[in-house]
Amino acid sequence: MENPDSSARTEEYLLLLNEHENSIAAYVHTLVNDHADAEDILQACRLTLWKKFDQFETGTNFVAWARKIALHQVLNYRRSAKRKPSYATDPALIESIAAEIDRQSTQLDERSEALKACLHKLPEAHRQTVLLRYFEGFEIEEIARETDRSEGAVYRLLSRIRSVLGKCVSETMEAGTA
Amino acid sequence: MNPDPRIDQSLEGRLTEAEWEQFQEEMLEDGDLLAQYVEQRWLHAELLADRELMTDLASPTVTSSPPRKSDRTPWLGWAAAAVMTLLGALAFLFSGEKSVPTVATLIEAEGCRWEGSDLPTREGAKLGPGLLSLAEGMATIRFDSGATVTLEAPTRLQVDSAMRCRLLEGSVVADVPDSAHGFTIDTDRLEVIDLGTKFGVTSTPMGNSHVFVFDGEVKVLEEDQKEARHVLGGKSLHFGQSPGSPDEEVERSPLPPKPSGNWIPISTADGSGKDAFVRRDNAHNGAGSGPLLMVKHTELAAGNERRALLTFDLGSLNSDPVVKAKLSLKIEPSGLGFSSLVPDSEFSVYGLLDSATADWDENTVTWENAGIFSAEPIDTSQFSRLAGFTIPKGSAHTLIDVSSEKLAAFLSENAGSSVTLLLVRETGESDRQGLVHAFASKEHPTSPAPTLWIQTDNR
Repeated sequence: MENPDSSARTEEYLLLLNEHENSIAAYVHTLVNDHADAEDILQACRLTLWKKFDQFETGTNFVAWARKIALHQVLNYRRSAKRKPSYATDPALIESIAAEIDRQSTQLDERSEALKACLHKLPEAHRQTVLLRYFEGFEIEEIARETDRSEGAVYRLLSRIRSVLGKCVSETMEAGTA
Repeated sequence: MNPDPRIDQSLEGRLTEAEWEQFQEEMLEDGDLLAQYVEQRWLHAELLADRELMTDLASPTVTSSPPRKSDRTPWLGWAAAAVMTLLGALAFLFSGEKSVPTVATLIEAEGCRWEGSDLPTREGAKLGPGLLSLAEGMATIRFDSGATVTLEAPTRLQVDSAMRCRLLEGSVVADVPDSAHGFTIDTDRLEVIDLGTKFGVTSTPMGNSHVFVFDGEVKVLEEDQKEARHVLGGKSLHFGQSPGSPDEEVERSPLPPKPSGNWIPISTADGSGKDAFVRRDNAHNGAGSGPLLMVKHTELAAGNERRALLTFDLGSLNSDPVVKAKLSLKIEPSGLGFSSLVPDSEFSVYGLLDSATADWDENTVTWENAGIFSAEPIDTSQFSRLAGFTIPKGSAHTLIDVSSEKLAAFLSENAGSSVTLLLVRETGESDRQGLVHAFASKEHPTSPAPTLWIQTDNR
């Protein structure tokens, strides 16, 4: 890290990471069910990406490169024994999911933009529920308590919101390509 | 086509293990099902992981620029308030705030010993910017912003303003009311910004920092890191090397001052002596070469249980009966946990009855392989409780002397060979982040090793 162009290289890394961290994070969270595990992996990932950054060729696809490294981290992740494991994903399935994401990879940025627009189309109450679940990181039970609803109702509401968002994203994408 | 309900159930952790297994198998067989799953899973992950998406949503009148204060609308409620707090914190970060004459009050300072503070240290004193250096005890200051900070000795805290202080060394717990959101504690490498919470920060001279959030949320900026990290209630972050690997050159520990009379000191650094600690959930060995011997007892997080093993070579001791003996231990800050969460703590010293079973190796011993040393409860057919002692809350850098007739008798019986002592804490904690006690080991660069002081009857 002491060589003369290290600072330019560091800057390049930080800029790329800053720009693409969200999509790398979404990738890992897609592959890993357990939230804490995913965050652990992401943390390790940032370090590995930096360590291996001299293997990254400027001008090539950073996200694609980062996804490969992230997938490797996911497959090799061993949860610390302390934590109670939540359900784990079969490595074969992880690889299938990763392949499916790679297949869609050219659209992911657009999908993310579409999602952003779709979120703004949600009615106010739905928007608040999304914020509680995803911005504040509340579990369903907490949202139920906070909003004075039953857990079942909150669960159904979230499912409906996700389904609406999913449809909206698909429609936006179709409209875009039509 | 309606999506498979199991997709949503899996997102919210509502499938049983068996259902999840079955669902996985079906996805591996069925490409359409997999594609559906990936689509919904990705959307969920994007919502979870893309903070930009959420900050954007929390301030709906701007679609792509960062949220502005004027965008606040009534319906936003407290989700937006969190964003505002973040903005407030950032404002503090960049405002280069000026200090004012008095910014805080020392509201509690019981049983405290201060060393080299340049601020007044009597209870009730008004504090301007300056240094507080607490050598013993616990003290609480209330900043004019409303934030209270409790110092746990040994701690050196630089008071900067009503909203900011710098932890030079030690442990503090901050309780920050709504009025003081954005209250910031700096350490050597970190900037810890409150977002409405109670949190603790430790910083050791060896460069480790530990941030623990009891309640609420803090933002942590690490030196050299562009991205801030958010820590939520019940979570903690540890920065720096893990304790146990000194970066200073190791030298033999100096002996504590010799007690008057014909006392013979034997430390774990003498002859075939050794010392180490074992921790339950740590398969790593080598805890014997660290400068600290860590001891903890907890019913809340079993993996953090720690015990120390001390072997003293009594080969130089002739068969004269031991009339008096004491074990001398130097308390050191562990940099782990907070003493406000642990009451005055009781410790026990056990002696291993059959020294032939003490064939542990300082460099490879772990909780797993420590056999009788890590057995629970302690096997009283193998160990005899020789003495107990108490470390009051907030004690630091103190030399503890433990003596008992049983200890003297035990050493007498083993003169000429070696003895192994097991050091355990009997007192648990009220929170998982309670203090880990630490004592200087023979590898500690500046403090004395565990030492037995022995007086024999050699007339």
